[in-house]
Amino acid sequence: MRMFSLLRARLVSLIFRNRQEADLDEELRYHVDRETERLVAAGVDSHTARQQARRSFGSVEGFKEQAREARGTGFLDHLGRDTRHAARRLMRDWRFTTAAVLILGLGIGVNAALFSLVNAVLLRENSVADRERIVDIYQNAPGGGAGGNTYPTYLDMAAYTDVFASSTAAFMPRGVTYREGSAVRQGMAEHVSAAYLQVLGLRPAVGRWFSEAEDARNAPPVAVVGYRAWTTRFASDPGIVGRILRIDGVPVTIVGVGPAGHAATLNLGVHADFWLPIGALPVFLGSDRVFDRRLNEPAFFVKARLQPGVSVARAQAAMSTLGARLAREFPKEDLGAGISVYPSSDVRIHPQMDVIVTAIATALLAIVGLVLAIACSNLATLLLVRGAGRLKEVSVRLAVGATRAQLVRHLLTESVMLALAGGAAGCVLASWTMRWVSSLDLPVAVEVGVDWRVVAFAFALSFVTGVVFGLAPALQSTRIELWQTLRGDGDVRPTGRRWLTLKNALVVFQVAVSVFLLTGTGMSLQMVAAARAVQVGFAVDDVAMLETDLRYAANAADTPRLRAEVLSRVAAIPGVQAAVLTRGFPMEGNGMGIVIEGVAGTGGQIAGASNVWAGPGFFETMRIPILYGRALDERDRAGAPRAAVISEAMARRHFGDVNAVGRRFRSELGQDDWMQVVGVARNTATADLDDEVLNPQRDVFYRPIDQWGVAPNVVVARTTLGSATLVRAMQNELRRVDEALPVLTAKTMRQFLDDSLVVPRGGAMFFAALGALGLCLAGIGLYAVIAFAVSRRAREIGIRMALGADSRHVVRAVAGEVAVLVGVGTAVGLSASLVGILVLRVTGATTSNGVASLSLYQPAIDPVAMVIIAAFAAAVGLVAAYVPARRAARMDPLGALRHD
Amino acid sequence: MSDQTDVLQGTLDLLIMRTIALEPMHGWAIAQRIQQISDDQLRVQQGSLYPALHRLEHQGWIAAEWGASDNNRRARFYSLTRAGRKQLATEVSKWERLSAGVNLVLQRT
Repeated sequence: MRMFSLLRARLVSLIFRNRQEADLDEELRYHVDRETERLVAAGVDSHTARQQARRSFGSVEGFKEQAREARGTGFLDHLGRDTRHAARRLMRDWRFTTAAVLILGLGIGVNAALFSLVNAVLLRENSVADRERIVDIYQNAPGGGAGGNTYPTYLDMAAYTDVFASSTAAFMPRGVTYREGSAVRQGMAEHVSAAYLQVLGLRPAVGRWFSEAEDARNAPPVAVVGYRAWTTRFASDPGIVGRILRIDGVPVTIVGVGPAGHAATLNLGVHADFWLPIGALPVFLGSDRVFDRRLNEPAFFVKARLQPGVSVARAQAAMSTLGARLAREFPKEDLGAGISVYPSSDVRIHPQMDVIVTAIATALLAIVGLVLAIACSNLATLLLVRGAGRLKEVSVRLAVGATRAQLVRHLLTESVMLALAGGAAGCVLASWTMRWVSSLDLPVAVEVGVDWRVVAFAFALSFVTGVVFGLAPALQSTRIELWQTLRGDGDVRPTGRRWLTLKNALVVFQVAVSVFLLTGTGMSLQMVAAARAVQVGFAVDDVAMLETDLRYAANAADTPRLRAEVLSRVAAIPGVQAAVLTRGFPMEGNGMGIVIEGVAGTGGQIAGASNVWAGPGFFETMRIPILYGRALDERDRAGAPRAAVISEAMARRHFGDVNAVGRRFRSELGQDDWMQVVGVARNTATADLDDEVLNPQRDVFYRPIDQWGVAPNVVVARTTLGSATLVRAMQNELRRVDEALPVLTAKTMRQFLDDSLVVPRGGAMFFAALGALGLCLAGIGLYAVIAFAVSRRAREIGIRMALGADSRHVVRAVAGEVAVLVGVGTAVGLSASLVGILVLRVTGATTSNGVASLSLYQPAIDPVAMVIIAAFAAAVGLVAAYVPARRAARMDPLGALRHD
Repeated sequence: MSDQTDVLQGTLDLLIMRTIALEPMHGWAIAQRIQQISDDQLRVQQGSLYPALHRLEHQGWIAAEWGASDNNRRARFYSLTRAGRKQLATEVSKWERLSAGVNLVLQRT
């Protein structure tokens, strides 16, 4: 009962607060009136009586406050009032407020921006109906862990209809081009089987999905437009159904629009622009070997919906049986690694990828978290300095009866408000960044908007920031000896030098973290430099290339004539010395399994090597010297014995001799497609310079496209007249062959190589931006601390100067303080990065398998970079110290003595 | 005035409850009564009465009601609730024990 009445009283007091305020006023007024009347009756004149009544009553406001508190509504009242006070104070100090909000906004904005990326990739869910009934099935990779599925294995899985109500296969997402009007644009497509939407429990937004018939090979190609592409690229036009669109040059009939809210098979925040039927794969890939049960065609993701009452464990048991059977029946094509079943809700992209992506996301968040740490400690510094500057105000308020708890509450309200404003600024900043990112013409549609999760993240961050980083300054600046402050000294703390103060620690921390981030820049730049220094071993400066898709030609059927015309026109451009038609960019190798003839028994042992497509004129165009035998030429046409040129390294490794001319090898796929080595070429780097640093001297073999029925899509040419001019000339010639041929890429070799360094370059920029931002923030913090120290010691400095101290002494004292802070910070930051580098080296050395080589390359300790960073930090310190030091030096001794 | 004693912290509640135990009274009258009864020995900072009144009301020991005062103005009258009577009895006995104890100490040292 008592509980209820208390609760009721509290509710009533909240709801009828205004009423109660009025009541309280009236009650107190009545008291004073009554007392006045009593005094008047006793013969005091009315004016004096009222004064006396008031005096004997005491502080009306104070008692009102206590009465309110006694009623238990204090908290909300306080909050309202504190907020208003804090807002007023912050407005008055608008300069401080702006600085603090900007600093925090930057810190929180950077975090929110990155978080929205993580959010898009790792947190946002594809819409799917009852997710818990859907499983992902993977054939295991040879090394263990989930791999991919071959199409025949998928069909075997799908046959378990007592376990799976429906199942679907999705081919790896593929970059495609499509023509919209006269422009050819890039997009992402997924080939899926007809049951895809049934498994997911979704329906197309417009039109229809694929039929079973379209799962069959070489069914007439149709396509479903992805929902997002439909809204953003096709203006949500329902009339799109029935239209014919060219995708990768192939005319395709649009039959529907995909379900809204479902991005793609992989929950990666990347939206499929087109869905294509599985059966259409051969049309687009130019071969139907993806439908074969081969070791290296595990290119399908499989999803299935469980039959009612079937558990994931039972599905796993069924698949384990299947796995064992496949290992028995297909000992060559199936490694017997088994099959794994995962609940779909446990998988985002792929069980193996998830681990890596999560690790990268965590690392990135941790790095930008450092910037937030700088911003936060900066805010704390500013609050401390401001608090120290407000000692007198605080003292007066303590003297008139405010409690320390009240003051701390006020200061905390202020810092939380600041932090929330900073959070809001951060959200704005993040959404600007994200708008900028989405405005970039990326080949894939990643949805990186700022949604409620990002906003919640930013506000949670700012609230915690406000409380945690406001508390220490609030506690410190209310710890005051009243008598000292009020006596009128500017300085209330012991005047002895204390180095280990919160302020100094914060500044040192900021400098250290910034320096640490900057060493990251150094490391990334090192990597860029190392990559650029690679001796590529082929012509770079005079080479240009053009990528097109001949399937878009008006008369695509007549491709041999098209090829010949493109090549002859490019070769006829003035200055061109050699040209070649090929597939893929030169030196961009594809890893393949190969078998060397006569090695390790009949089956041969499978080795890894990189395949580069070439043609007649390739080695001349690329200026790759042939060491033995001959280059590929006109003799190596379709029908002639299959020829290949191999690299020196491959010859040595697999044939035991550099001169391997005449020896034979085959791809692990083709049983009887033996290739004869006709020449051995000098080693080259591959086009991926970034990778080259990790993995130099790969085994490479060059094959002529004509002998393998591979359609060319790239023209490479070498000129004497400058590659930039050549790029333009080649585009003109292509247009002259056929207006409809798209220019998908047009680059000089130099640009192409530089572009391959985008990851380390991006890393360098990322670290440099964060580090510079951090150091600027640290500079502000340093300035605040030094400026405050100078003003606090104004009297001391004044006395010294009055006693004849040189202004140089004063400057030296200030500079000394800055030097110590910056020096310690830099030393700590550099040591931390040294430790980091050593850790990376050790872990990098132990985990250099394919996956873990993502952990970048072996960083080296770079003394030059460290000196530069230290100098940069010193420069920031100098700038931060300049103004306060000058003020100290110019201080008028008399003025200083009168100070405060 | 200087021979008056400030009301001891915590005893104000006791005095208020004792005062309104006889009849409902408004704040000013309570202050007057405490002063009269104590022969002007005790001084209540008049304002401090109100936080105490509101606290006691909040605790459910006294109840408040608007009514007409003897000079026909609206005033807030406080009366003791049943729980308040019990509480008063406990407080009184507690006080008696305390003052007896203090007296003993004072006499024997």
